[in-house]
Amino acid sequence: MLKRALIALAVPALSLTGPAQAHHSFAVYFDASKSVSITGTVTAFRFTNPHGLVVMSVTDAQGTVSEWRAETNAPVVLTRRGWTRDVIKPGQVITIEGWPSRDGKPYLRLRSAKDANGRLIGTAPFGVTDAG
Amino acid sequence: MRPAIWLCAVALVASAPAAAEPDLNGFWNIDLNRFDPPADLTAKLPPDTVILEDAGAPEFPQGEYGGLKLTPDAQAHAHAWKPADQMTLANVCAAPSIIYSVQGPFPFEIYQTKDMIVFKYEYFDQVRVIFMDGRGHPPADAPHYKMGHSIGHWEGDELVIDTTHISASTITNNGLDHSDQIHMVERYRLSADGKKLVATEWFEDPLTLENNGARFIQWDRHPGQYVYPYDCDPTFVLEYQQAGRQGGQ
Repeated sequence: MLKRALIALAVPALSLTGPAQAHHSFAVYFDASKSVSITGTVTAFRFTNPHGLVVMSVTDAQGTVSEWRAETNAPVVLTRRGWTRDVIKPGQVITIEGWPSRDGKPYLRLRSAKDANGRLIGTAPFGVTDAG
Repeated sequence: MRPAIWLCAVALVASAPAAAEPDLNGFWNIDLNRFDPPADLTAKLPPDTVILEDAGAPEFPQGEYGGLKLTPDAQAHAHAWKPADQMTLANVCAAPSIIYSVQGPFPFEIYQTKDMIVFKYEYFDQVRVIFMDGRGHPPADAPHYKMGHSIGHWEGDELVIDTTHISASTITNNGLDHSDQIHMVERYRLSADGKKLVATEWFEDPLTLENNGARFIQWDRHPGQYVYPYDCDPTFVLEYQQAGRQGGQ
């Protein structure tokens, strides 16, 4: 105990300063109790860590066009499930299901993606407890 | 036995890889299934230790720390933390310390020799060296860094690693950060068939925690696989910041 007290006195300014992040937290950013599904035309696909990302142009029932972004697992994980950097291409129509962003943005975490023929992209969908 | 022959025999025993030491070499990927930690490993945890249920992919929501008791300073720091802080160019690729990385849901490779063991993690391309040659830790004021300074030894079939000199970083990825006075002890053990690796991660940090924390972690051996490059690209956060600025919902 004395040793602990001495350490605490000797280094009071060492603690808890500076950036102390990891990748952003799924639990903090996304609502795992809800799901969202969007269908649209891909405008961009990033395949970089810490997360891949699909940008889509989505037209709703009223004809209003909006831009959505779907964050994926880390590409190191995607690669082990059959994804490549060109598995999704701009101009392609796809459907993405996932978990919505807690802040209400048109932003989600991808659980699965299917092409226009309903075929799953990659070998398996992703879960809340999947890596990265 | 003549003295010269006896000395040679002793020298051979001392320099050869110890046959009794388990072979941890290989590629290990996190086992995301829940499992009951071995009772004897639990018994080796020091008193006043809470076992965190966030090993692998699970994460605690904001304001929840799995039973860890925070000091007032750590509590204030955690309360002031904002999720948006993670999604900045400066922070999104800032690697966590070994306290968080060791249990992250990414694979790692082990390269084992008698005097040195290297852990190569996929997560943020992190690498750590565990010195097995009997050296101690450097002086307290020696430089700290995210992987810390690790020394190890064998206790029967268990690899025991003691790590100090770890830079301040996150514990639970939701605002609870440890100080650079944190001290970690890990115990690694192979399953009987050599296909699973189980470990306890235990840590104490009097500047941050009023009790101690631990995690149980389990990995599966995957022969032939290897760690991929991570090469974190911080411009990813620009996409998040851009979301909602065009077109609306």
